[in-house]
Amino acid sequence: MTLRRRLGLQYAVVVAVSLLLLAGLAHHEFIVEPRMRQRAGLAESSGSHWREYAELVFHALIPAVLGSGWWLMGRTVAPITTLARQFEGVHLGNLRTPLPRTAQTDEVDRLTDAFNGLTARLDASFQQIREFLLQASHELKTPLTVMRAQLETALRDAPGTATDPCGWMRGQLDELERLARIVDTLTLLSKADAGLVKLEQRLVPFDVLVRESSEEAALLAEPSGVQVDLAACARLTVRGDRDRLRQLLLNLVDNAAKYNLPGGHITLALRPVSGMAELSIANTGPGISPEVLPRVMDRFVRGVDGQNRGIEGAGLGLAICRWIVQAHGGTIRVTSEPGVSTTVTVRLPLAPVTQSDAGSPDEPNGVASMYLTA
Amino acid sequence: MHVLIVEDDARTAGFIRQAFKEQHIDADWLRDGDEALAAVLAASFEAVVLDIMLPGRDGLSVVRQLRARGNHTPVLLLSARGEVAERVEGLEAGADDYLGKPFALAELVARVRALGRRGGDLKQSVVRLADLTLDTAARTARRGAHRIELTCREYRLLEYLMRAAGRVCTRMMILEQVWDYQFDPGSNLVDVYVRKLRQKVDAPFATKLLHSVRGEGYVMKASEQPL
Repeated sequence: MTLRRRLGLQYAVVVAVSLLLLAGLAHHEFIVEPRMRQRAGLAESSGSHWREYAELVFHALIPAVLGSGWWLMGRTVAPITTLARQFEGVHLGNLRTPLPRTAQTDEVDRLTDAFNGLTARLDASFQQIREFLLQASHELKTPLTVMRAQLETALRDAPGTATDPCGWMRGQLDELERLARIVDTLTLLSKADAGLVKLEQRLVPFDVLVRESSEEAALLAEPSGVQVDLAACARLTVRGDRDRLRQLLLNLVDNAAKYNLPGGHITLALRPVSGMAELSIANTGPGISPEVLPRVMDRFVRGVDGQNRGIEGAGLGLAICRWIVQAHGGTIRVTSEPGVSTTVTVRLPLAPVTQSDAGSPDEPNGVASMYLTA
Repeated sequence: MHVLIVEDDARTAGFIRQAFKEQHIDADWLRDGDEALAAVLAASFEAVVLDIMLPGRDGLSVVRQLRARGNHTPVLLLSARGEVAERVEGLEAGADDYLGKPFALAELVARVRALGRRGGDLKQSVVRLADLTLDTAARTARRGAHRIELTCREYRLLEYLMRAAGRVCTRMMILEQVWDYQFDPGSNLVDVYVRKLRQKVDAPFATKLLHSVRGEGYVMKASEQPL
């Protein structure tokens, strides 16, 4: 029963009991006692009845009623204080333990449930952060280890005998650049998580971007003899940040070219599908194993461990892609047949096309910038 | 080349001045925004490297004041934040370029040099380097008598590098000017395109013109040694 009802009930009971007591006392005082007196033959003294009555009411009845009322209400409200004390006992280590409910199913329980929900969500977030930090430090350790090894080797070599005395320093610079890029990407993802990255809201001719990226794909894929084919390129306009969308496409074609086979294929297609712009990028290649597939867009996840050692990358590309797609209100899906091919399908909401839009798709429709969360 | 550095952190300023000195760029140093404003208006600098966070007047305010008073000294803004939005704000305030911290000294030097040349660069329609000729009106490239087939993007990259001939162009500068990216998209796109350009422009000919500067970027210049 709710607190409200309980308190109301207690209030009613207290009032009822008081009235009963008053009535009983009055009955005794004004009816029973005089009758007893009469029978005993004593004289009437009406004034004293009222005085006695008043004394009893003021010195006994009212204090007793008030006292018991106070005590009852204190008992009803006590669970709130207990709950507050329990809140104080919650810390990072026991976030996952839910607080117990009372047996009453009342407002206090509702508060407890809400609090338990809150701590569960916080716990999940902290878990994510912990895992991410672990992975990040692991990834950063690799280039640091390489740099350390280079320095140690160079120190061991006697100066003057090394054929390329500055080679190791250049190697260090390369590793530092790689580290700096990882840190930059992590910073971007963290800011995106916190909703601090500003994205533009303009009309973007998505087909133009896709065509450009297919040309870039051709160039990126050329060294390994991979063929690029733009199967379809419907004239579709989306609303969003042109540079970030270009980054999305570049990341995807970069992956398609990197994780491919010599003489393989990359096929791009842009089509309207159920009111969305659907872009699919399929590439031949080693693919992604079913165990890794569900997590492939998470940070630092790359194919199967050990399989991609020769290929440059930190596993952050798809995480960036997912952020960009979701920030534009779209969806991204990866499917793969290990050893055969991988397909990434991106769907973005189409910008509503009006007559005035048709002529100049790049015209900013009032530059409204949005803060979008991942 | 004579430039002004306005930076209140002595260590950072020290590194910058050292880097400039090695590149034969004369650099004065001030720590305060108001002093900087007075100095730029009084003397004539080829470029100003201006930190945004300054005691006294902040960097953006200095730029706005300079432009309001008709001073067109090229300004490169330095900022600890380096966000795209701040970059746009800086450029709109009248700055000519923007670098977020931490930056590579080589990047700063390359950009300051580019700023210094802006004033005197007339858009010639024909650009030449050794036997490489670019007809910017027709968008064609030739070496000697041979016509070089280039895609649109390859041509734009070549024109940019040619107009900057003798000066190092960093990857980020190329991404900004040729690809119009406001941030680093995290790809080796530029390297791939430069490689392609080399295949077409340098490989078939004796004199190599397109050079890599390790840790910095690319530069076009006539060099005596054939590869």
